[in-house]
Amino acid sequence: MTKLTCFLSSRPRGAYSVFAFSIALIAIFIITGSLAFAKSLDSGPAQISPIHPTFALLDESGENVLTSGKAVSTLQTCGACHDTDFIEQHSYHADLGLEDFSAPGDVTGGRSWDSSPGFFGKWNPLIYRYLSPQGDERIDLGTADWIKQLGSFHVGGGPAATARDGRPLTDLPVTSGDPETNVQDPHTGQLTAWDWERSGTVEMNCFLCHTPAPDNQARIDELQAGNFRWANTATLLQSGIVDRVNGAYQYRADAFTDDGLLDAEFVQIQDPTNDNCGQCHGLVHDTLREPVILSACSAEQWRTQTTGQIISPQRLSDSGLNLADKAKLTRSWDIHAERAVNCTDCHFSLNNPVYFQEAESSRPEHLIFDPRRLELGEYLYQPLHQFARGQSAQSTVSPDLKNTMRRCESCHDALSTHTWLPYQDRHMEVVSCETCHIPQMYSAAFQQYDWTVVTADVSPNTECRGLEPGGVNPMTSLVTGYQPILMPQTDVDGNSKIAPFNLITSWFWVYGNPERPVRQVDLASAWLEGDRYPAEIMAAFDQNGDGSLAESELVLDNQAKVDLITARLSQLGLENPRIVGEVQPYSINHTVAGGDWAIRDCQACHGNNSRVTQPILLSSYLPGDVLPEFVASSNTLNNGRMYQTEAGALYYQPLTRESNLYVLGHDSVAWVDLAGGLVFLGTMFGVVLHGGLRFFTSMRRPSHTPKLKKVYMYAVYERFWHWLQTFVILGLIFTGLVIHKPDAFGLFSFRYVVLVHNILAALLVINAGLSLFYHLVSGEIQQFLPRPLGFFDQAIVQARFYLRGIFKGDKHPFEKTPDKKLNPLQQVTYFAILNILLPLQIITGALMWGAQRWPNITNWLGGLPFLAPFHTLVAWLFAAFVVMHVYLTTTGHSPLASIQAMMLGWDEVEVYELTEEEAVS
Amino acid sequence: MRIADKIRSAKYIWIFGLVFTLLSIAVPVILLIPKDTRAADDPWAVVPKKSPHTNHTDLLAGPFETGSEVTRACLECHPDAAQDLMQTVHWTWESKPYQLEGRDEPVTIGKKNSLNNFCLGIQSNWPSCTSCHAGYGWFDADFDFSVQENVDCLVCHDLSGGYVKGRGGLPVEGVDLLASAQSVGSPTRENCGSCHFNGGGGNAVKHGDMDQTLYFPSASLDIHMGGHDFQCIDCHQAQDHDIRGRAISVSLDRENQVACSDCHSENLHSDARINAHANAVACQTCHVPTGAVIEPTKMYWDWSTAGQDLPEDPHAYLKLKGSFVYESGFTPEYYWYKGAKDRYLFGDIIDPTQVTQINTLDGDISDPEAKIWPFKVHRGKQPYDAVYNYLLQPMTAGEGGFWDTFDWDIALRAGAEATNMAYSGEYGFAETEMYWSLSHMIAPADNALQCKSCHSSEGRLDWVALGYPGDPMQWGGRFSNTPR
Repeated sequence: MTKLTCFLSSRPRGAYSVFAFSIALIAIFIITGSLAFAKSLDSGPAQISPIHPTFALLDESGENVLTSGKAVSTLQTCGACHDTDFIEQHSYHADLGLEDFSAPGDVTGGRSWDSSPGFFGKWNPLIYRYLSPQGDERIDLGTADWIKQLGSFHVGGGPAATARDGRPLTDLPVTSGDPETNVQDPHTGQLTAWDWERSGTVEMNCFLCHTPAPDNQARIDELQAGNFRWANTATLLQSGIVDRVNGAYQYRADAFTDDGLLDAEFVQIQDPTNDNCGQCHGLVHDTLREPVILSACSAEQWRTQTTGQIISPQRLSDSGLNLADKAKLTRSWDIHAERAVNCTDCHFSLNNPVYFQEAESSRPEHLIFDPRRLELGEYLYQPLHQFARGQSAQSTVSPDLKNTMRRCESCHDALSTHTWLPYQDRHMEVVSCETCHIPQMYSAAFQQYDWTVVTADVSPNTECRGLEPGGVNPMTSLVTGYQPILMPQTDVDGNSKIAPFNLITSWFWVYGNPERPVRQVDLASAWLEGDRYPAEIMAAFDQNGDGSLAESELVLDNQAKVDLITARLSQLGLENPRIVGEVQPYSINHTVAGGDWAIRDCQACHGNNSRVTQPILLSSYLPGDVLPEFVASSNTLNNGRMYQTEAGALYYQPLTRESNLYVLGHDSVAWVDLAGGLVFLGTMFGVVLHGGLRFFTSMRRPSHTPKLKKVYMYAVYERFWHWLQTFVILGLIFTGLVIHKPDAFGLFSFRYVVLVHNILAALLVINAGLSLFYHLVSGEIQQFLPRPLGFFDQAIVQARFYLRGIFKGDKHPFEKTPDKKLNPLQQVTYFAILNILLPLQIITGALMWGAQRWPNITNWLGGLPFLAPFHTLVAWLFAAFVVMHVYLTTTGHSPLASIQAMMLGWDEVEVYELTEEEAVS
Repeated sequence: MRIADKIRSAKYIWIFGLVFTLLSIAVPVILLIPKDTRAADDPWAVVPKKSPHTNHTDLLAGPFETGSEVTRACLECHPDAAQDLMQTVHWTWESKPYQLEGRDEPVTIGKKNSLNNFCLGIQSNWPSCTSCHAGYGWFDADFDFSVQENVDCLVCHDLSGGYVKGRGGLPVEGVDLLASAQSVGSPTRENCGSCHFNGGGGNAVKHGDMDQTLYFPSASLDIHMGGHDFQCIDCHQAQDHDIRGRAISVSLDRENQVACSDCHSENLHSDARINAHANAVACQTCHVPTGAVIEPTKMYWDWSTAGQDLPEDPHAYLKLKGSFVYESGFTPEYYWYKGAKDRYLFGDIIDPTQVTQINTLDGDISDPEAKIWPFKVHRGKQPYDAVYNYLLQPMTAGEGGFWDTFDWDIALRAGAEATNMAYSGEYGFAETEMYWSLSHMIAPADNALQCKSCHSSEGRLDWVALGYPGDPMQWGGRFSNTPR
């Protein structure tokens, strides 16, 4: 019931951020055969359905396999009760983009040689093999080759059974040069026909996900051998239902009843467990018993190493990786895995009645939750194998399913657990949950894939991040981990939040028009003769002359080398070979840390070394001096700057301004601080000068005390208002300074300073409001309004006093009375301060605070990037005012007289003889 | 107006003003800043501070020929000490009368007169067994429990490390009693452990969570004793020698117990879900994930094979004792528990074809006071009377005992006499089991059990056996809405 109540209480927000559910399975490029997928699942019968009925295993034609001895057909077997045609038609896992297959270059956001948005047809530099379209002169992978090499990451069905035009593959006539009916000899490059009738095709493999111990390695072996028909049967080899003897499959009699049905003991049909998903989707280690092991930066567990995410409930300190500071890392790899949340709990089937909820956009306002849903039996008959996905950087895959997944907030009430966070709403709006809850990746990940060069075994030159520098030993290198880069990611609604990513930069050769990536076989021909480098290459690349090319030597670091390879590629007949570089972001959404390990330190972002603008190393060198470009198809805003250091390393740094972000404590506008600082310092200087002059001139003339009388100048309320204002403004200036430059004031807790600033601001507004009311109602407001008639004359008189008269010991030009306390210069200054600057400061401050409450108004005025520097400038002016004001209070008959008057109320003022003019007015 | 004038002319009125102004800033700030809501758990505040050590070197002159002489010397300055100790079970080896559920009369039971499935019982074996009595001279049933000078002060208070007790609880030949007496101080793990770590006849045999590795433990072995050098008495605090704590093997009542919550607050986990477990799961269940972490403990003791001349191995077979199974790093068994329910008493009829429980646990899933605890369950085969169908306690040590004659009949006859039980002459061996709760060898918090240690297909709890319909993560807790 707990899962439903999550949904009942959730109010999905308008903006959904990233989640990397990439159905585009990225397979490992198998040359020598992979090892990783051979790990058989060791989790026990966790989700085995206790009531699944027994059934017969049927072959393609619907006959019981015990009679025919043929391969199991999942579509027929499972199709006896479940609508397998429906399932296969509604499954991106099967389809992989086949439905959207088109001529190369027509894919939105794709490259000019991509044929579909999915794994079948979208080129990936990390795999490098290219699914050739019809009509290409040079064929790399045809369909059959694709199944052999990359089918290990495919559940079957879709392109493994159906041709690009929708016909079954077995119906295709063999045409020469047709990628769908030919395979390529890896050494000679010759095409030979492929007999689909003989090999069979691969049906969607139910056993792979729905049995507890599928023999994935056996399945992969059959795929690689070209025995597509038997791949699904091979999956059952560990189950006790079938054996393979001398290459032939024999069904075990003891697994079946006399009626030819599977014995109940062997019917182990289950909901997919994490281990099932982990067969393809990266390292899942769903047990606490054995330590998790991962070879660092090797091709094994390739899918994991795009980001380094390991889905395991185990503690890092209990794992088998050589992690730096391992003993201190007592958190689990992934908090959800620790808490027994399964992949399918978030990536559910879209018509699963347990999880189904109407989309926000179509939900009527009066309905929170619609209980009307598919009956369980109906669902089991036709379960959509379209699984919920988020909006990751791998955004071309299953585009129709984007944003179908519930985000963190549908289960977690972030507001109640983040009461300690100032500006909660603003943070949640701009920062994705992952940013703070996946602050650090602890395992290594790929950084760079350089296919402009090849090693002797035709692999690229790769770099990894997160390993200690020096040679990479997959088992013993110290894994230091890395901090993901934070980039803004846009969602389907157009909002953007910053989220963590890994960036993998790859370089490769392309040729021709239309563009195609240079085939691996051609690269091999250009670089190698057999398995050795030809003399020409050795001469150019072997720097230390030791007769072999180390990784550090396999670099196109000057034009001569580039020209050499270009020439060799051209000799193969490739037109205009050139280097292209691209940067692919990979979303990071798993390996979430529990609360204690999330970022809680404000200064992680609100300081000089902010995570938000922390650069990431893309590559330590630039092959052929080609700057890479971000791929067009990710959801990220790539408006930071790419720069190279002197050593030639390439970095990418996100910029806040470009993303319309202003991070308090990190961002500032240089000229504002400069101008403000100058004004402040100038005022200080002026004050010191003026005061010094007064001091010296007063020493030089005889002291003369004018006639004084005691007048009750300032009422209690005025004094209270004034001093409250003083302390609050001083507090605001100080806390504002700490917020503006938190690194200079590391002693203070950023969070507390922000809270104090807000409270003081509220006090200021209340104080100002009450005071305005008082002044209006009592008529005291008159004192502050400069009289326009004669104003300039009087102002000049007053100014002359300050500039000259005061040094001569002159009397003040204007009498100070309780009815007229302010001279014209004071009036105009206070008017400006109290009626212009103060309201502006209050308004800009309120809007900055209100950026989370009234984002529309704030954004209309330019958002934080405008309001914050404005607020800062006015703050500088206030600071300068304080200096000036305090100084000018010393211009009473004695230096401290005015201050005393503001404290005690009684002022001693000089006695004036009334002139005739004044007596009349 | 007058008051206003007075205010105006008051000289130090500005101080009021200043204070009021500052308060109008400070008060909102203090009130409005949200406090960090984490509960401050300060267990150190409750740990007793020990009084400083008093050096007894100048206070005791000696010479001391016997332990009792030392005791006499102690009593000169600590006159009540012996009397206080004599009220407690360390001296009496027997509980106060206690009414067990289902029995007609209250029973007094303890090490003095009970049966277990380790060395079985002390009656007729006193000289050997009483080497762990906190007294001198308990050689037979006629030991006088009222003699103060027979109290052994040194076993708990000696800090010289050279004090060893032998038969009857007397110090062995060669112990320097003067040095021992002069070294006395607050008891350390070495004092308590000299007996409690070696129960059952050797190091680590009996308890499963206490053995000699706790003399110098690492933090990962036991966070309190290893990480913070806790002595036993830091938790098992004593008032007038009445030491807190109860032993599941010999205690019946539930008073004066030690609990984690004596020092640690109940809701000290930062995660609310984990705190919620405290209603059904004892702290020990998650925080003592493994029993006998380093040294193997005895898990099975088959007396029936004793007496044969087979190759000997202290961890597998001894002629004196029979065959055993030792295990280290074992996963505890888990049962509902809130205290002892019943205890096997001499004369209780058994069914020799079934496993007899030496002690039973009180509590079940529907009892809100009961929680799931970790246990070492010691199983074995021990002699019983084949005619009367009750367990027998043999005489093992001493002349005429099994270790002397290797004759069960003679040994059981002698033992039956000492225990006042009738012996028919026919004996057999029945299976028994005994529950020992685990509370020591507490792992550091970072090594506590994780969710999947229990809530997974490889979990260590048998939900159905505990009374749940299935994993409470899916079914809900025991008192949740799901009707059963």
